[in-house]
Amino acid sequence: MLEYLFANKNVEKILIYLCLHGKANATELSRTFDSALDPIQKTLKKLEEGGLLASFLEGKTRGFQWNPRYPFLREIQAFAKKAYSFLPPDIQEKHYLSTRRKRPRKTGKPI
Amino acid sequence: MNLKTLDLKQLACLIYETLKEHGINAVLVGGACVSIYSENRYQSSDLDFATYEEMKPIEKALTKLGFKRTGRQFSHLDCEFLIDFVNPPISVGHEAIHEFSTLKTPTGTIRLLSPTDCVKDRLASYFHWNDAQALEQALMVAENHPIDLRDLKRWAKTEGFEKKLQEFLKRLKI
Repeated sequence: MLEYLFANKNVEKILIYLCLHGKANATELSRTFDSALDPIQKTLKKLEEGGLLASFLEGKTRGFQWNPRYPFLREIQAFAKKAYSFLPPDIQEKHYLSTRRKRPRKTGKPI
Repeated sequence: MNLKTLDLKQLACLIYETLKEHGINAVLVGGACVSIYSENRYQSSDLDFATYEEMKPIEKALTKLGFKRTGRQFSHLDCEFLIDFVNPPISVGHEAIHEFSTLKTPTGTIRLLSPTDCVKDRLASYFHWNDAQALEQALMVAENHPIDLRDLKRWAKTEGFEKKLQEFLKRLKI
């Protein structure tokens, strides 16, 4: 929907994904959207350079989340939420409503 | 010019003046302002400049000083500091900053965040990321320079962090 505006097909996906899940890493996004890893990584880096996202290390993985200090954060989030509400239910289901486990799992227990 | 001998303030001045000579308007923001206002009680390892200018003319200006560009950052073999160009707007939390301070030094001038905005900038990190180091930095600046406490309280309220500001005010010795 918004790729013409952002001149990048991954930005919209990343913004919507973050609205729903709060944080993400490049591998997770690449798997979720069946996209190549490299363009996703580049887009995340670009959004971080622009100040919209902040990154953090979890082990060896670089995770990304909203930068709460970004001055247009609320407006961008509202934009992404509205874009999500316009997506057909099957796309919402396939790409955004992940059933992946998010709650903690004790070390040693099978995943 | 030997960059090895320059301290952070002198380097900030050199970069600012070089950019100005090339018609580039920039403002020093972030931790380097804390270093300057705290007289190096906190030592930043990089100089963050905010500008609306494109990277090409910035690269042209800084290449003349021997800096090499990687993305939005510039480094120099003889210089311990990294120069980074952060994306505008210049803001503290959800408020834009339009007025800046100018410091005059023997080697020229630097345009940078005012002490009050520098304190807000550090407090924003403390508010949002619970960064205790940022709280200490805010205190260092506020204890060394006059700040507008009324404006600071108004800002913290609009950002929704009135309670967290109390920790700063409780510890502030002025």
